[in-house]
Amino acid sequence: MNRIRNLQGPALILALLALLWIIVILVLLVLKPSVFSLATVTTILQFSTILALVSLGQAVVILAGGAGIDLSVGGIVSLSAIASMLALKLGLPSFLLPPACILAGAALGAFNGVLVTKLSILPLIATLGTFFVYSGLALALTGGAAQSGVPSWLLIWGRGVFSGIPVPFLTIAIPFFAIAGIVLMWTAWGRWIYAMGFNERSARLVGIPVDRARLILYGLSGVLSGAAALVSLAWLGSGRPNIGQNLELESLTAAMLGGIAILGGRGGVGGVFAAVMLLVTLKTGLLQLNVNTVWQVGIVGALLVFVLLADRLSQYWR
Amino acid sequence: MLKHIRKALAISALSLAVSTAAFAQDKPKVAFVPQLIGIPYFNAMEAGGNRAAKELGVDFIYSGPVDTNPVDQLQIVQNLIDQGVNAISVSVLDASSIAPVVEAAKAKGIKLFTSDSDAPDSGRAVYVAQATDEGLGNTIIDELVKRVGEDAKIGIVSGEATASNLNAWIGFMQKQASAKYPKLKLLEPQYAGGTAERAAQISGDLMAANPDIKAIIAVASTTCPGVAQAIETAGKIGSVIGAGYCSPNTARSYLKSGAFGFTVLWDPAQLGYLTVWAGKQLIDGKAFEAENKVPGFDNPVTYDAAKGILLLGPPAVFTAENVDKFDF
Amino acid sequence: MNGREWSLLIACILAIIVFSVASPYYATSGNAGTVLRNSIELLLVGLGMMLLLAMGGIDVSVGVVMGLAAIGVGRALGAGVDPVLTALVGPLTGALLGLLTAAVIVLGRVPAIVGTLGLFGVYRTAIFVLLGGQWLSGLPTGLTVLLGTTILGLPVAAWVIALAYLAVWIALRRTPFGLHLLAIGNSEEKARLSGIPVVKVRFATFIVSGALTGLAATFYVANYRNVEMTVGSTLALDAIAAVVLGGTSILGGKCSLVGTVLGVLLLRILQNGLLLTGVPSLWQPVVTGGLLIGVLGFEVLSNRLSLSRLGWASK
Repeated sequence: MNRIRNLQGPALILALLALLWIIVILVLLVLKPSVFSLATVTTILQFSTILALVSLGQAVVILAGGAGIDLSVGGIVSLSAIASMLALKLGLPSFLLPPACILAGAALGAFNGVLVTKLSILPLIATLGTFFVYSGLALALTGGAAQSGVPSWLLIWGRGVFSGIPVPFLTIAIPFFAIAGIVLMWTAWGRWIYAMGFNERSARLVGIPVDRARLILYGLSGVLSGAAALVSLAWLGSGRPNIGQNLELESLTAAMLGGIAILGGRGGVGGVFAAVMLLVTLKTGLLQLNVNTVWQVGIVGALLVFVLLADRLSQYWR
Repeated sequence: MLKHIRKALAISALSLAVSTAAFAQDKPKVAFVPQLIGIPYFNAMEAGGNRAAKELGVDFIYSGPVDTNPVDQLQIVQNLIDQGVNAISVSVLDASSIAPVVEAAKAKGIKLFTSDSDAPDSGRAVYVAQATDEGLGNTIIDELVKRVGEDAKIGIVSGEATASNLNAWIGFMQKQASAKYPKLKLLEPQYAGGTAERAAQISGDLMAANPDIKAIIAVASTTCPGVAQAIETAGKIGSVIGAGYCSPNTARSYLKSGAFGFTVLWDPAQLGYLTVWAGKQLIDGKAFEAENKVPGFDNPVTYDAAKGILLLGPPAVFTAENVDKFDF
Repeated sequence: MNGREWSLLIACILAIIVFSVASPYYATSGNAGTVLRNSIELLLVGLGMMLLLAMGGIDVSVGVVMGLAAIGVGRALGAGVDPVLTALVGPLTGALLGLLTAAVIVLGRVPAIVGTLGLFGVYRTAIFVLLGGQWLSGLPTGLTVLLGTTILGLPVAAWVIALAYLAVWIALRRTPFGLHLLAIGNSEEKARLSGIPVVKVRFATFIVSGALTGLAATFYVANYRNVEMTVGSTLALDAIAAVVLGGTSILGGKCSLVGTVLGVLLLRILQNGLLLTGVPSLWQPVVTGGLLIGVLGFEVLSNRLSLSRLGWASK
């Protein structure tokens, strides 16, 4: 009991998420044992890949503080998918599609970074603006039409499954999370990011190049969204102008649920990963039980409020 | 994390054998995945599907996304496949997006087919059509010309720009107009997303921009109230008529006020019934005939083998005179 | 009026001139009515959002709150309740939801943006469950007639909006509530230490914002006589964009009533004018976002420029 009481912050969140996850799995086990097949695991991971990548970007941006947030992630996903497919139509060699897609994401993310660091527009507003611009452009440039013509070799990668695990998850999502985890925990860079988020003034005083770091992190969030766009292209076989719809809200939910403090400086990527898994497992479980999808949004919302309150209450107990 | 996945894998290996045995004794399962839940049109299809399920002795599952988001729809279809539902019908949001699940369904021997909105080249088993896209596009233009004449300017307000069925209808409207009525001027389609408010805003702006506009077509059923309301508030009843693909219940008061001249629709409950019936046929391995006798249908349902389309019949036109005879 | 307000006013006038030249149908009374009618909901919701932002809060669930309140109004209207009472259902439902939101955010001490994101999901499910797939369509015209009447030549909506803004202006400038609200926006910690009843003021602000959103719902139902499940789905982000455009800072402590009105109007003028000059509606969000970034970026750059000029002059 005492040990549970001593849990706090990220550890408490992780414990809570794990507990919730086990509850979800147990409930499913009782109600519908047939859910537990390899195919279900594959499905869950398949639908986690895009959300996981985008949420990771969202998480590092928030972690670095300065009221950091990226509302434009969904817009970046849509626009980089569309921009790279349009470039393909204009004669870009098809083997350059993956780098073009990620580069487009990087550029769009870096633009956010410029608005935030060079023009000192508050991140919420800057990325709200680019959210409108990016997602609007993706629709306006195509008139809403899906862009087909993804090269077939890319589809082999995007739809491939290796011993039950979707290849994009294995080759993009896991490496990104591993690298982000290592960087945050064991390198000076990681300590800078936490320091920036925890107390920006002292971070500046000790000589951390806060603005440059923040610019890079917004760019990184763009890279991750670009990677998510690439996964969507390779998986669906076409670029769709609204593929990133709702990703800003979902990634924000995952990051918050995963214990990233909205003010920055607290939380880790493990929690974000766990939160993405919980969210997608929960959705899958509800679908498998044929629960009306209207309950999904409400349950996820209630879960978010619940975790926030639990985090808050844990500070009263002490 | 990995531990849990491993645990889930271990359990799954055990339960797979049990579950397949259990499924065999159940009634066959037919699912329908609409484009969006919570709108009257698809609710009516659900009701029809439920009725069919009872009469034909199948289990009917109705599950769809809360936003018109193709990935959410894909996830629902994928989960139905994982559940081992015998036949799955989808009202496709975005024709090319269902490609990944068609393969998955084939691999598991599940009958995946489309209903209400098609994905022609996806390899689906059959398309249960309310009417042909061409028929729908043509009907609305022909009916409008009857009312406003050939020499008229007509606006188009659609829902999501990405909805492939709506875009197909618009395409046929434009084709019909240029082929048959060269004087008719169709304005560029505008997209309101899913909200009546935006549809009203855009329709109001369209009427201001084109004082000589004679009619506005509401392509998505979600845009009908907004278009009609804009015509009412602008005080243009009589000089501008609204039309669209909306259910009699949604359009009734607008038809009576004169804001709407007519709406074109089929009976979505019948379409839902036909969808479940088609699913049952596919599960039973029965081929579709050129003309099929479906219980509860007055006329035989035609099947176009070349295109793989099962056709409900010609669309109905609802006007102020006949609207009270219908309740859906 | 401050700098931002002047520049918005000039932007509005410039836009009107450009559009009048570009389209012969722009400068008509009918079109002006269309623009104003399309601004009603955003003006009311924006006013509430402005108060929340000035307090250092935010509410991303206002769109679905409007949806829930619209269901309340629609049900009452459909049941044949007296139009005057029906009109009150909106603000009342909104205020109750504001109370609920405040309870979670203020008592739970949860960051407003995350907490209201969670509530957004909860309220959204509530809308689906309450409507159950059946829209409220073809509602009676009682409310439309009531709110469509004119008093001294102006429609009721104009009076209500003017009164709402006047009331908020008085509350902000002439009562301790306004001082307290802005003080909390500047620094909640200092406000608490100086004895301001922080919890009470924050509760009150959420309730007022809820009531204003509910009032918008009343007008929505009167206007469209229809309640569908997507009511207000893009409202929250539009409101934040308009209010920030108007010069209110999301950091709190600063707000502008005139700016909020001008921000809303500028957005609607541009949306309307672009469509009238033949730009497809799909470009409208691009313009909204571009405007937001452009205006804020321009302000920063011009401030910097004038500062550097000052620096140069003093040498």
